[in-house]
Amino acid sequence: MPDFEQASTLLGTLVVVSPLVMTFVLGITLLLDWPLTEQSIGRLVYSSIVVGLSAAVVILVLMLATGERHVAIDAGDWVEIPHHFHFSVKIVFDRLSVPLAILSFVLAGTIGAFATRYMHREPGFNRFFMLYAIFVLGMVATSLAGTIETLFAGWEFVGLSSALLVAFFQERAAPARNGLWVWTVYRVSDAALVLAAVAMHHLIGEGDFNELLGAGPWPDETSNVSTGDATIVGLLLVVAAAGKSGLVPFSGWLPRAMEGPTPSSAVFYGALSVHLGAFLLLRVSPLLERSPLVCVVVVALGLMTAVFAYLAASVQADIKSALSFASLSQVGIIVAEIGLGFTYLPLFHLLGHACLRTLQFVRAPTLLQDYRTLENAIGSRLPRTATPWMRFGGTGFHAWLYRFALERGYLDSLLTDYIVGPFVRTFRLCDSLERRWTDFLSGEASRESDQVKPHFGTIEEFS
Amino acid sequence: MQSRTHLGGTSHILQSHAADRSKLERLSEAINDAAHLLPAQGPITVFIHHNTLHAFEDLPFHDAVRKGAHVFGCQPYLSEERYREALRRGRIRFADLQEVLERDLGQGASEPIPCFGSRMQLRLALLQYPLRTGPTAELVWHVAEANALRRVRTEASSATRARLLAETRRWVLRDLRVGRDNQARNGRNPATGHHGEQHVPESLAELLDRFGDSDIENWRDDDWEGFALQALWRVCCDGVRHLPQFTVPQGMSIRHRDLLFDATGTDPDALVHELLIRSVAAFLDQGLAHWQLPERDHGFYRAFCALYGQPGGPPNRWMRGLSTELRRLRNENVSPLESIAESLELLGVEEEEWDDYLSTTLLALRGWGGMVREVELRGDRVVQPIPTGSLVEFLAVRLVLDRFALAFLARESIDFPGPLSALRAALATRTDEHWPPSVEQRAFLVFQLAQIFGLSPDLLHRLDEAAWSRIVEEIETFSAIERRRIFHLAYEQRFNVQTLDAIAVHARRRKGRPVSPAFQVSCCLDEREESFRRHLEEIAPSVETFGAAGFYSVPMYYRGASDAHFTPLCPIVIKPQHWVTEDIDIKHAQEHRRRAKTRRVLGAASHRVHIGSRTVAGGALLTGGLGVLASIPLVGRILFPRLTAQLRQLASGFVQAPPVSNLCLERNDPTPGDENGHIGFTLAEMCDMGERLLRDIGLIDGFSRLVMLLGHGSNSQNNPHNSAYMCGACGGAAGGPNARAIARILNDPRVRAVLAERQLAIPADTFFVGGHHNTCNDSVTYSDLEDMPASHREEFDEARRLIDAALERNAHERCRRFMSAPLTLSFAQAREHVEARSEDLAQTRPELGHATNAIVFVGRREWTRGLFLDRRAFLTSYDPTQDDAECSILTRVLGAVFPVCSGINLEYYFSHVDNRGFGCGTKLPHNLAALLGVMDGAASDLRTGLPWQMVEIHEPVRSLFIIETSPEAMTRIMDRDLGIGRLCRNGWVQLAVLHPETGAIDLFDEGQFRRYHARASVLPTAPSSVDWYRGWRDHLEFAEIEAS
Repeated sequence: MPDFEQASTLLGTLVVVSPLVMTFVLGITLLLDWPLTEQSIGRLVYSSIVVGLSAAVVILVLMLATGERHVAIDAGDWVEIPHHFHFSVKIVFDRLSVPLAILSFVLAGTIGAFATRYMHREPGFNRFFMLYAIFVLGMVATSLAGTIETLFAGWEFVGLSSALLVAFFQERAAPARNGLWVWTVYRVSDAALVLAAVAMHHLIGEGDFNELLGAGPWPDETSNVSTGDATIVGLLLVVAAAGKSGLVPFSGWLPRAMEGPTPSSAVFYGALSVHLGAFLLLRVSPLLERSPLVCVVVVALGLMTAVFAYLAASVQADIKSALSFASLSQVGIIVAEIGLGFTYLPLFHLLGHACLRTLQFVRAPTLLQDYRTLENAIGSRLPRTATPWMRFGGTGFHAWLYRFALERGYLDSLLTDYIVGPFVRTFRLCDSLERRWTDFLSGEASRESDQVKPHFGTIEEFS
Repeated sequence: MQSRTHLGGTSHILQSHAADRSKLERLSEAINDAAHLLPAQGPITVFIHHNTLHAFEDLPFHDAVRKGAHVFGCQPYLSEERYREALRRGRIRFADLQEVLERDLGQGASEPIPCFGSRMQLRLALLQYPLRTGPTAELVWHVAEANALRRVRTEASSATRARLLAETRRWVLRDLRVGRDNQARNGRNPATGHHGEQHVPESLAELLDRFGDSDIENWRDDDWEGFALQALWRVCCDGVRHLPQFTVPQGMSIRHRDLLFDATGTDPDALVHELLIRSVAAFLDQGLAHWQLPERDHGFYRAFCALYGQPGGPPNRWMRGLSTELRRLRNENVSPLESIAESLELLGVEEEEWDDYLSTTLLALRGWGGMVREVELRGDRVVQPIPTGSLVEFLAVRLVLDRFALAFLARESIDFPGPLSALRAALATRTDEHWPPSVEQRAFLVFQLAQIFGLSPDLLHRLDEAAWSRIVEEIETFSAIERRRIFHLAYEQRFNVQTLDAIAVHARRRKGRPVSPAFQVSCCLDEREESFRRHLEEIAPSVETFGAAGFYSVPMYYRGASDAHFTPLCPIVIKPQHWVTEDIDIKHAQEHRRRAKTRRVLGAASHRVHIGSRTVAGGALLTGGLGVLASIPLVGRILFPRLTAQLRQLASGFVQAPPVSNLCLERNDPTPGDENGHIGFTLAEMCDMGERLLRDIGLIDGFSRLVMLLGHGSNSQNNPHNSAYMCGACGGAAGGPNARAIARILNDPRVRAVLAERQLAIPADTFFVGGHHNTCNDSVTYSDLEDMPASHREEFDEARRLIDAALERNAHERCRRFMSAPLTLSFAQAREHVEARSEDLAQTRPELGHATNAIVFVGRREWTRGLFLDRRAFLTSYDPTQDDAECSILTRVLGAVFPVCSGINLEYYFSHVDNRGFGCGTKLPHNLAALLGVMDGAASDLRTGLPWQMVEIHEPVRSLFIIETSPEAMTRIMDRDLGIGRLCRNGWVQLAVLHPETGAIDLFDEGQFRRYHARASVLPTAPSSVDWYRGWRDHLEFAEIEAS
């Protein structure tokens, strides 16, 4: 059906191009210092989201109508080293990517509309929408990616914009610190993804998911990769997913990400970003099936995260942390579902969870009024739901568990004091060894930069 | 173990001091004193506006803000740039600046300053021109970037510049070169040589060499400019080099943390606060977390020791040893106060430092500390009270954590092994001193000023040391804060003149009370009602309006038919003694019960959903099963807020309490209480309240057939600060029930009979209607209409139509200040716009609250009727002709007006001038914590004060009270009521009195009333308010409106 092919190519391109145009327009005007007005930014965001969303919906309708379950649009090889490496850009529409792309457009579009009013007269209005555009582009690229390189590009866009949005209020120290935290965790996850990509290239010579996962539309592919290979690539992908989705032990970044303006916390960390890891695992689920070990790891990680996050959520005394841990516990369950071999169930769970959580986040500041309404309806103070099984094990254990939850499972301090600390110390040790060696060779203090103080000169010098 | 000696308090310290009970008592006092500095903002659900610097109210305003700025590390006034910008656009007039400065300098204004004219001229220049100053390195950068040693400052006029160049040229060619030649001939020997006047300093000689003076005749203008400036710079440097210091150094902080932070950039507070915020939030939590802090009832200190004292705790390196220490405190039964004494001892804090040390320590986490104090003191205002002494416990825990964090970071960053008591001494040597200023810093100020004044290097070169000393002293002592104070006074003076002129000029055109008004309306004195009243008077000139404190003299605890709890409805200064409930009419009782049950079922269900969505299994079911459906309300509420709100109202109409309800107002039992039989007021109390209200607002005759009494509140979405938009006179709640209660009281024939005996006859055909004005969506709802006699129906319908029209116009006038509302809106569109605003989840400015408030007028409406006051004036009705000689009515009216209005005004003032310090910053990252307040982002101190979105368009001026009475009467009131006296005499508000007969105005200034003479003779006039404000976004001048 050539007509269908042409139409889907055109529409598919539109889906990606519309956020791309938005990003370029916003970026270039900012670079050239021609700041757009709030109104024109609003219109730009509105039109590009509507165009992208409609195109995605039309593709969905066409696919449903024709029964086609896999549409790929290949933008060719962007880099090619014959017989060694090629970097191809390819987008794929199937039962996994279309719902996620539509979800991204719907949630991002709603939040875009929300933010045009919420961010009104904020000095960083243009910057916010610049990052927002990068984020949307990244989300769409990741969801539609047909090769691991394309996925990585989108993944990076999401990571970059997320970290910068966390640090949106850059004049205060805490957002900058927490933005850096998020960035660092994302880098670890990115490194794992890059290693996975390298491993994939090594195994099958290219980054195309079709080759790795086998032919056929998602989720009915059957991978031909050997169990050993699947375990290596799979474990790397699990690390990547764990970082991005805040699974144990990386969970600490999620509540820290609540530094930005409410809409960005809501849609990005509460609903979309945090599901990307689960999405990645869904995308490669045929590969996971090949390796029981990876499946066990995924299930274990998911369940641990779910239980841990539930515990943490029930002691948080501020609404954004409470919601972010609540969000995390569902992400844990979704991941566990994937590990158990389900495909449609986690997908549906993911979509529903993203919508509900966005609504809850967006309404977070109204909690006081909600509580009041509820109290008035019930006619008394709200009951505190003491969960009975927490009483097990006596008060000592109870208090221990409470502290464990309040301290967020000590995950952050474990990472900083026992992973990052030794890491930094090791490199400092190397540095001091090197210095000793060069001092020895030169017979004197070899590093001039140690002795020289910063030099500002005097006023007269500039006459 | 070394760490043990400075981390773990040993018991011998304790024993040696345990006997010294008085020491602990002194410590307790010191803590109490320090605690007074904490912000006094209670739970955010009941937002009471109050003076942010309440702790310093017994100081004069300018001293207090300066002290407050120092203690809290905040800004006392707007920045100099903001004031200069106001000067540029004419908001501050130059003449006012001069006048204020002249008054401030007094005799000294004309005292000469060498080269710079008088002190007055020098100070004016310092005010007008921003002078660059900063660390020497920054100046170096500035000189390089701005080419400041090559080009004369742009503020200097071309004539000044030309003069500077010409004089330098003459000096160089005529004197300097000649002198230099002589010097060369005689040999340079400054010690013995006699060079007379033409001594050429080394630096200038070197400069001449560098510029190449051999072809000096061929120098271009550019060369001369560079030479002149560099010569000037060198002369300035030489001039200031040996001067004494005229400023005093800022005292070094006494907190270990500040010293460590300055010296190393590592911040122990970052470690401590992360843990402390988490625990204190869990301790104070009013029900946000499902799982309560274990041992919460035993107080913070015990709960914390129990929680973190058990082994197997956090692996953080800085907390190593903490659990052992906490166990020791627990096992040895060390009380919180003893623990504080112990910590101070270990930290090496001497007793004379206690006050400062404890206050800076408490202020480091002031929001949470303040909330602990508020919840401790006002346990009646929260669901989950905390034990007394909680603040002391909070401080005790904090100091223990401080010790651990300090010891850890001092060891990590500077290898400090010793006891903590020696840490400050060790750090003192490492911190950079910013004092005294360098020669460059001092010279640069003179250098810049000299350019503006066109002073040649020659002139300055000839000054002796005394003259230099005079100049530099004058420049340096007129510090930035002083300059801002002067600016601020001029800023306020401009506004005061405009206001008083408007009142004085308009007084000539005032008409008396309308004869036989169509109907009468009383609103809250709130400045947001000013425009509503004005519009109503414009479209219905026969209407008379009044302003009263919005609790309508009915202080009560109130519970509506569908409310769960009682809410106090009265100003914070009054504690209600009576309880009032709303009941459903007997005919609808069954319906009500059914609906209440449905509400309860729905409420319980939605609570379960709310909780469930945060659990594992429930959440999975919910999100997996129904989550996608959430996209419907999500998209609907965000994209179509108004439509969705209408649908929601339609739906909730089925379960809301039926509209026909009754107030339980009357009580027969002598003792009031909150249970059946004790609800309400006695008849005598009702008579007193009714009489008091009518006498307060001066409505004792000329009643119309219909009198509307409107309370007000505000309804907005997604707004933790909602309560701050409500009625200030009802303690941050909606005032509708008060208006309803007073209307019912005044309609009661028995009350009327009693009032008639007291010479207050209400005609039999006068009917009072209570109502509620929602200032966010500009709607009014009326209560108890079914009691209205049929004879009044028609008039009421007409009145309602007029009020609706006035509300539309009011919405229209409000929209001019909303940047997101187009200026082209029609009245009806404006109403729709504000309705959408109040329902919009994304709207951070549902309304602008009390922003721009600046005037408090207490007197008869006739003085201000027909005057466009731009929603800036609180208008209280008071008729001095009906008051007694003692002014007892005025005294009680002012007793409510002063705290409420000055509290609002000063809170807005401080939240605007330093929004990050005194206010709570931008709303955008706010995060509701413990159901008590908001934090910035993931975790921060609890933010008090007002958000930027509320105060953005505010003009920070102290409110100008204009009271219709005599200076003598006002003086008596100030003497009698200490609170009012303190506010007026210390200048926290500005005060003027308006003579009830002549309309003469006396301004209270420096302790006495002085006659004010109007400077304007006419005011601009406009046919209607709309004609005056249309198309204009900014503050408007006052004008006379012809229509009303």
